[in-house]
Amino acid sequence: MNLTTSHLIALLPLLIVGTTVIVVMLGVAWRRHHVASATVTVIGLNLALLSLLAVLNVTPLEVTPLIVVDKYAVLYMALILVASLACSTLAHAYLEGLDDQREEFYMLLLCATMGGLLLVSSQHLASLFIGLELLSVPIYGMAAYTYRDRTSLEAGIKYMVLSAMASAFLLFGMALLYAEAGTLSFSGLSARMSGGELSSAWTLMGVGMMVIGLGFKLSLAPFHLWTPDVYEGAPAPVSAFLATVSKIAVFAVLLRFFMTAPATGDGWLHTVIAIIAFLSMLVGNLLALTQNNLKRLLGYSSIAHLGYLLTVIVASDGLAIETAGIYLITYVATTLGAFGVVTLVSSPYQGPDAGQLYHYRGLFWRRPYLTAVLTLMMLSLAGIPLTAGFIGKFYALAIGVESSLWWLVAGIVIGSALGLYYYLRVMVTLYLHEPGESRRDATANWGQRSGGVMVLLLALAVLVIGIYPQPIISLVRSATLITAG
Amino acid sequence: MIVEQVAQHWAITLFVLAVFGLCAFMIGAASLLGGRAWGHKKDTPYESGIVPAGDAHQRFSVKFYLVAMLFVIFDVEALYLFAWAVSVRESGWAGFVEASIFIIVLLVGLVYLNRIGALTWAPRKRIKRETEKT
Repeated sequence: MNLTTSHLIALLPLLIVGTTVIVVMLGVAWRRHHVASATVTVIGLNLALLSLLAVLNVTPLEVTPLIVVDKYAVLYMALILVASLACSTLAHAYLEGLDDQREEFYMLLLCATMGGLLLVSSQHLASLFIGLELLSVPIYGMAAYTYRDRTSLEAGIKYMVLSAMASAFLLFGMALLYAEAGTLSFSGLSARMSGGELSSAWTLMGVGMMVIGLGFKLSLAPFHLWTPDVYEGAPAPVSAFLATVSKIAVFAVLLRFFMTAPATGDGWLHTVIAIIAFLSMLVGNLLALTQNNLKRLLGYSSIAHLGYLLTVIVASDGLAIETAGIYLITYVATTLGAFGVVTLVSSPYQGPDAGQLYHYRGLFWRRPYLTAVLTLMMLSLAGIPLTAGFIGKFYALAIGVESSLWWLVAGIVIGSALGLYYYLRVMVTLYLHEPGESRRDATANWGQRSGGVMVLLLALAVLVIGIYPQPIISLVRSATLITAG
Repeated sequence: MIVEQVAQHWAITLFVLAVFGLCAFMIGAASLLGGRAWGHKKDTPYESGIVPAGDAHQRFSVKFYLVAMLFVIFDVEALYLFAWAVSVRESGWAGFVEASIFIIVLLVGLVYLNRIGALTWAPRKRIKRETEKT
């Protein structure tokens, strides 16, 4: 096929982010300058975000059999770009204290963002795999970026080894599916599956292996073991990236896959996913109860949240796309805010991050506004009304009730009750009396820095979405998915 | 059809078992029946007739690995150009532009690697010493 202008416009976000990588790379080759690299990155991401307005004029459009750019893809592209913008502002504040080469971080971040953008618009297993690798491989480097810390290096290596394992599973699953179906496109697979031709043991194995691979990337129980260690060891902005961009992209493509190729057959896959969802909710919340490290706690809580979100895939009808959109937006805003506060307290870099809860003891008496933000984020994660988290959880419950998935509804309710305990524990710590010894603290002028402004804006967003969710809901409703190939 | 499949499976199982059995028989019978010669020189590794010298656990400079990795990266990327080379006439100007962009990106990568000193063989200390001398 020939590429026309409208095809190029549809690819604009990808092209712009790709060009930014090259520009940053040339900039580093010419002269190292931290602020300049960060600025170029932010400008590139903003341009990509603006270009989405142009993209909206040409959607929906298929660009080669690999990529489809529809309104659904545009919504998730926007979400990914916003999240990586937030991560780059956080990284800028964080890396200032790093006595090493700081500029490469932005190249890795942009590459991973590009992978995410490709992933949400892929309609073919090949582009799914390329996108997933482009997303994961830079994250190895980012997780081990402060490699002089042993925990960071450990996080990077752990993520690399386990992620490569998961990719191998995914690839083998795809190969088995291809051997059975003779096609790799989602719609082709869907056509073969609905014809009832694909019920052999090989298809079961293929889909099962793909579930393992993607379950790893989404850190669902029982493939979650890497999550707390990597979240704890990786630098805080990287943990934020891992918890948001990587999760959004993988979940968006998983949902597209299930909406296009509903491998319902005899329903066994839905049972498996329902069990995984239920396990994730319980395991994530139960393990979070005893954590004394805020980053680990957020890692476990992300396992639980992905479990809630998986209800959408089990239901996969009616409200599914809307629920996923709303839940992901609220989850991303909240998680970014929480990790943002952790980053601000740990910035500029000076050894391992301030992850331990005792660093936050009495934070209220030193940094009242920052504490207010963290409190808000914890309330939102717990799903208390008037915060964004409530809207997301309400949608997840609604879809569970609508599709009569009573086990999952029970899981969400029990999980939320458990969650309240450890989120409240964090909040109580914030307001305790300040101990005498010196603790890690955010810089005095954090509110005027880009990272601080970003965190404050996120707090505002969480409140506004919680009180007046209608604009977000109508935005997500307009993000329709095209399923026909 | 199922009967045929079961028969096939049995045939394959029998074949695999026979292969393993044959291997076990050959090794086992040879070790039981064959003679054995002992000698001092027999315990040393055979290096094409040359007497081995030194320890196998040598330490190599980490630069070797870096250069090897860079070589593999650029080698594999150059491999993609073969796909373009066989269809250079059919893909026309659009293909040419795309291949040029690809090559330029590679070139930028090479410039970057050169500038950050990934291709410099000498250790950093010596470079510093020599620049200070001049």
